[in-house]
Parts: sequence; C-alpha cells; structure tokens
Amino acid sequence: MAAVTEDRRGGLGWVERGLFTALPTLALGLVVWKLALLELPLSVSWSWVPALGIDLAFRVDGLSALMLLMITGVGTAVFVYAGGYLAGHPGLRRLYVLLSLFMLAMIGCVTADHLVVLFMFWEATSVLSFLLVGFDHERTDSRKSAQQALMITGTGGLALLGGFIMLGQASGTYVISEIVDVLPSLAATPELTAALVLILIGAFTKSAQFPFHFWLPNAMAAPTPVSAYLHSATMVKLGVYLLARLDPGFGEWPLWEWGLKGAGSITAAWGMVLALRERDLKRILAWSTVATLGTLVTLVGLRGEGATVAVGTLLLAHALYKAPLFFVAGNIDHGTGTRVIDHLGNLRHAMPWTAAAALLAGASMAGMPLSFGYVVKDVILEAKSAGDVFAFAKAANTVFGAVAVAVAGVAAVRVFWRHPGVNETCEAHEGGPALVAPPLLLALAGITLGTFPFFAQELIAGATGAMTPDAEAVAFSLALEFGPALLSLLATFAVGVVVYLLWDPLHARFERAARRVGRIGMAAQFERALSWIPRSAAASTRALQTGRLPAYVALAAGTIVIALAAALVADWPSLYWPSADGWPGGGPVGACALIVFGAVAAVLQRDRLVLLLAAGLVGYGSGLLFLFTGAPDVAYTQFTVETVFVIVVASVLLALNRQHRAAGLAEPLWRPGAFMLAVGFGAAVTALLLVATAGSFDTALSQFFAERSVPDAYGRNVVNVILVDFRALDTLGEITVVLLSLIAAVPLLQALRPARDKGDGA
Amino acid sequence: MRSRVIILEAAAGPLYLLILAASVWVLLRGHNEPGGGFIGGLIAVSASILWAVARGSDAARQRLPLRDPLILGATGVLLAALSGVPALLLGDAYLTHLWATLPLGFTDLKVSTVLLFDLGVYLCVWGALAGYALALLAVDDEAAASGGER
Repeated sequence: MAAVTEDRRGGLGWVERGLFTALPTLALGLVVWKLALLELPLSVSWSWVPALGIDLAFRVDGLSALMLLMITGVGTAVFVYAGGYLAGHPGLRRLYVLLSLFMLAMIGCVTADHLVVLFMFWEATSVLSFLLVGFDHERTDSRKSAQQALMITGTGGLALLGGFIMLGQASGTYVISEIVDVLPSLAATPELTAALVLILIGAFTKSAQFPFHFWLPNAMAAPTPVSAYLHSATMVKLGVYLLARLDPGFGEWPLWEWGLKGAGSITAAWGMVLALRERDLKRILAWSTVATLGTLVTLVGLRGEGATVAVGTLLLAHALYKAPLFFVAGNIDHGTGTRVIDHLGNLRHAMPWTAAAALLAGASMAGMPLSFGYVVKDVILEAKSAGDVFAFAKAANTVFGAVAVAVAGVAAVRVFWRHPGVNETCEAHEGGPALVAPPLLLALAGITLGTFPFFAQELIAGATGAMTPDAEAVAFSLALEFGPALLSLLATFAVGVVVYLLWDPLHARFERAARRVGRIGMAAQFERALSWIPRSAAASTRALQTGRLPAYVALAAGTIVIALAAALVADWPSLYWPSADGWPGGGPVGACALIVFGAVAAVLQRDRLVLLLAAGLVGYGSGLLFLFTGAPDVAYTQFTVETVFVIVVASVLLALNRQHRAAGLAEPLWRPGAFMLAVGFGAAVTALLLVATAGSFDTALSQFFAERSVPDAYGRNVVNVILVDFRALDTLGEITVVLLSLIAAVPLLQALRPARDKGDGA
Repeated sequence: MRSRVIILEAAAGPLYLLILAASVWVLLRGHNEPGGGFIGGLIAVSASILWAVARGSDAARQRLPLRDPLILGATGVLLAALSGVPALLLGDAYLTHLWATLPLGFTDLKVSTVLLFDLGVYLCVWGALAGYALALLAVDDEAAASGGER
C-alpha cells in the first residue's frame, strides 16, 4: 500500500532529509542539555485512565539517561546515514517516518515509569520493527524475516503483559520505581514467580536470548541503517534494559539470578559459535550482537556493584562499536554490491574512510588498549572475578573475547587488507560523506572515551546508581589501567588472532556440523510449529465450512439449542405456563394467525419465490403483533425491513430464475433431522421466554426513561430519546458496525459484478 | 438490454421524491412521535430500491446523495460522531446533547445536536443498507443484460 503512495521519481531532497535528521539531533541536544542542567532522577506524570489507575508517568534516572543518549546519539548517526544509503530510493520518506516513530517509541519505553505505559511503547517498538525489517516488502525473505521477528517479539510481548499485570497486582502498584522498592520485601508467592517467568520470557524474546535467539540474524534482511539502529544499538537492548530496571527488585531471587546467568551464558557461547558459521558480514555481526546481549544479560544477573558498572559500560561501548561496524558492512554492500566475505578483500584503496572507521570500531570491539572496549574488558573482568562465578568462567571469558577479536578482525582487517586472490570487486567505491561520517564519528567517540574514560564516568555512575538496590553512590573509577587486564587481554588477543587466521577452516568444519544441527535447531522447530497453524486452520475449515448455507444454519441453530438447554436445564422444574388473564383481543390473535400461516406455508412450499413471500408473512405478522402490543416504532421498523428484504431477495431470485439457476428446493418434504432441530429450537426459545417472564419485571429503568424523557431530553418518544440521547454512544457504536459490515461486504458484493463483464464479452 | 417498464419508470420520478419526503418527515417527527433516524433511513432505502427496480442499480446509486453508498454511510457516522463534540468543548460528557430555540416569528424552531445525531443515523442506515440492496439488485441487472442472449 505504502509503495503506491510513494514518490516514484525517487528519494528526498536534502532539505527534507535535513528536516528528518533534525528530529534525533534535537532530541540528542535536549537530552544532553537536560543531563548537564538537571539532577536526576527527573519525573513527570499525567493522569490518563484514572479509573484503572493508569498514569502517563515518566521518570528519567541514570539508566534511562544512558539509554536516551544511545537512542538519540546513534539515532542521529542513523538518520544521516539512511539519507546517504538510500539516496534516491522511493521508500526513503517511509523509512524516515518509521524511524522517527521508532525513536519516539524507544524514548517512551526507556522513560516510562508505569508498567502499562512501558508495555505500550514496548509493543510499538515490536510493530515498528516489523515494518522496518520488512522495509523491502517486495522481497519474500524480508517479509518472512519481518513476520518471524514479529511473531517472536509479539508473543514475548503477550507474556510480558501477563507478567506485568501479575506483578502489578502482587505488588499493589504499577509504578515501576515503587515496585522496585516494594519487591524485595514481598514473599515468593506462586503468582510472583509466574510474573517473574513471564517477564523473563518477554525480555528474552526482545533481546534475542536463547532459546529465542534465532530471529535477530534473520532480521538482517532489513536495510543497514535499520540493522544498525534496531538490531545493535537500541531495540534489542530493551530486554536488557527491562532486566536491569527490575534487577534491584528481583535480584535476590535465585530463579532470577540463575535464569539470567544461564540464558545469558548459553546465548553468549552459542552466538559466538554461530558467528563462525556465517559468510555474510552483516550476519556475522548479528551473531556477535546476540553474544554481546547474552553477556549483558549474564552481567545483569551477576551480584555485586562491579557487575552493574560493567552493564553500563558494555551497553555504551557496544553501541559505539557495533553501530559503526554495521555502517561499515552497509558501506561495503553499497560500494561493492556484496557482503559475502569470500568475495571481499583489499578494499582499503577503494574505501579508505570506511576502512579507517572499521579499524577504529574494530579496535574497540577487540578491546585494544586506548579504546572504550578495553575499559569494558577491564570492568567485566573485575565484575566476574568479584562475583561468585565458576572457575571456568575466566577461561570462557577468554574464549568469548577471542571470538570477538576474530569477528572484529574479519570486519575491520580481512575485508580491507587481506588480498582475496582474484579481484572480484573492481567497481568498489567509497560512499558520500553521509555514508562515511556517521561510522567515523561514532567510532571516534568510542576511542575518545577509551583514551579519556573519565568523560563517561558521570554517565556510567548515574546508570549504576539506578541499577543498584541501595542507591548509594558506587565507588569506582573508569581509568586506563595496564594491570592484570592487559595480561588477560594479551592471552585473549593471541587466541583471537589464531581464530581469525583459522576462520576459513573453522567455518568449513562448523558448516558441516551445523547442517546436521540445523534440522533440530530452534529456527527449524519454530518453522515447524508455525506450519501447524495453516494446517489446523485448513482442517477446521474443511470440517466446518462446507459451503452449504443450510449446514451453517443447522450448525448455528444446533449450537444455540445446546447452549440454551445447558443453561436452562437447571430451571426446568420451576418453569410453568403463565395463566392467561382474559381474551387478548382480535388484533394480537390475528397477527399470530398470520405468523402461523406464513410459517407453515414456508415449510410446505417448494418454490423459492413463494417460500420467500410466506416468510415475509411471518415478518409482517410480527410487525402487527408489535403494533398491537404498543411498540409502534419497532413495528414500523419491522414493516420497512421486511418490505425491503422481500423486494431485494425477490429481485435476486427472479434474476436467478431467468438464468435457470434457481430451481425449486430439491430436498424431500419430510426431513427428520430438520424437524427435530426446528422443534428443539422452538422448545429452547419457549423455555427461555418462560424463564424471562417468570422473574419479576424490574420497572426502575422504564420508569426512569418515561419520567426523564421529556424534562431531560425534550422528547416524548421514549424509544427515540433512548436511542439518540440517553444511550447515544451505543447507537453511535451500532451505526459504526452497520457501516463496517458494508465495508467488509463490499469485496463480496463486488464479486457479483464481473459476471456482467463476462456476459458482455460473450 | 434491460427490459423497461414505462409506467414504473414514469411513476418512479414523483414517487422517489414523495418517499424521500416521507422519510424526512418520519426522521423529524421521531423525537416526539413514532419515527426517527433508523426508520427514516429504512424508508429512504426503499426509495433507492424503487429507483433501482425502475431504472437499474447504477442509476439508483447515482441518485444517492454523494453518489456512493459507502461515502454516504460514512458521512452519517461522521455526523453522529461530530454531534457529540460541542458538548465536549463545553466541558460536558461526550454526546451530551444541546438544545437551542430559534424564533422565526410565526413559530419557534427547536434545533439541537440530537437532530444532527439522528440525521447521522438516517444517512448511515440509508447508505449502508442501500449499499447492500443496490449491490444485490445489480445481480438482476446483470441477469437482465445477459438473460436475452441465453
């Protein structure tokens, strides 16, 4: 749909690009300004749905501020980059609009202080992510990846909603900052445990934790700016953010601690292993992102202040090196037309600026000294040795770090310096400034913070304070230290270089093994589960949707009979026939006689047209009955509806007759099944009426309407006054439904039309 | 071609206006006597059906206000929804109806947002049900158009 409305002449002018880019830039300026001026936390709240206790509550503390900086900072880079990357693309405006909405949703998500508000923005990011991953909606794989991402994050969102509601009910408040305070004092009830598990599922799906990890690399079908923004710097960090946000509350729970550590460690290890499998530069980066997210989740699960410091620094460092590396991958794709590393090499001559950005970002990812990545390594090492972890954690840390070094080597060194043998990318060229500046600036920021870590001190301290239960200032200092960290780094680096050099043989080995694993892997299971949906839908359709109208009516009537019988069987002994008080008068009796005559005639008739008229008699008889029992409005409506119905259906029947398609009914007159159904239906409705009339009639409402109609609503026709005044909102809903039913029927009704075109042609 | 019934066609012209006038009368009297937007709208639908039977479904569609049942119905819903807005602006609950009396000299005309609301109901019912009826009656036109050849 959107493609149709887009400007087919292509692209946006630089003015419009600039205007769109001004959005995140302004937001970034606002965040920095507020950070510089104000003491955190800063909170505002507006009443939204007071009846449900839902307020639009927002609160910015240190952790939110860190996320906000990443969202707006990387956002600015992404907006600039998108203008260059998709210059001339007809969908650029759509991309900008979606990215702007996404940024808003992210900002809402990390500042919300109410579970419901947070959930709302959380869902918005899922939906916008779906639209952004499926940006190239003309490609099957991008549609499929978008669907997969939405299925997983959307299901997780449902779990999250359940968890939030249970958490809110258990703790008596939906305000996040209050919940975190209350939680440690609450007993571990089953409800709270269920809430915890559901929230973990929600956070794990969003942050691509095992076993929901597989959607993230597939989401690489998105254009590069989207991957850099959503799938490295911001959205996938939401799960980590939520866990870190709730960690002061749940931190003491063993289930929480071990759930985070377990899922995080498995994800980190698995992500690194799978990174070795890939040949596509973007997918390699995606798996390493999955691994980093795993590390972040593990760090949130670790006890101790060092761990929260590590979460803050790693969040920032990852945004500062992974986003530029995605930009680099995008530049390579843009300049050479491929991202498969086998075809790439020696690009430093053609793309010098991209190579420089890749080197800077890669250095940070590998944790080289003087980069922010080195500071992170240092902090993580301290956290893990301080936290109570297994002995092998250190060794595992070295291996994970080594693969990170190797991935950085592939992305930053191999494609730019290694000679590929044959030159397959002779048309490689550097992109414009919009493509080069964002990765360079972000990577440079990473190096600057690495050389002068105290610049980030305040920011990380604020975030750490927000994640630490006893909100005392955490004593730590980010500084360049060349102590034991350097030693362990050397070991990591050495292993990393070996992995880097052996990338191709390792890849071949993993590929063979993975082919066997692929069939039982999570992605395959997910596909299999999905295929059950259309299969079961097809089975139920075959069973229920026979395409025969009589079968539908029989099914509906039978269901009603069973439902009514089940509900009324308990009242059966108390049912009695109301005593008649005198002769009801000739009018009602005549009307009833008309109804009976029409009904019997309809049953006996074989000709459809006569049958229709007989059924019409039933309608007119009912109208007459309404008229005699003092409901003229209903009677008029019944008459008009009946007339319109009979005329329209008679016209259609006549038309079908002329086409010799409307013969008489083929069924025999005596059909026991239909007879039983009719008698059963009549009995059930009669019983329902008897129950309804047996109870004493509460006249409060009819008295109220009769009394208030003239003084309050200036109308003597009570029925109409109720419709248009007392219950006007209901009526508004009803006429909306009437209109919607027509909108829904339009395609069906239009299907009647082509008959004429064919007829004219014949 | 569709067979023409001259008497019906000739009668349809005045009858159409007469039925519409009746429907408006029913709409206007609805607040105090039996009637109202629903019934008025249904009567208007029957006028459209008369036109469709006499001159064909497309002609009846062309005679509708706004020339499209869907847009007509949507306009009705919009009018009904808008009729609640003035109350909102005055700080009352949505759809709290407002009344005013316009002195015209010979008589006082009572105007209200209720009338706007009921007009919305009227247009919605007319548009939506005429949409159904005219589309179904179009089948008759197709049959008449192709019936002669079979």
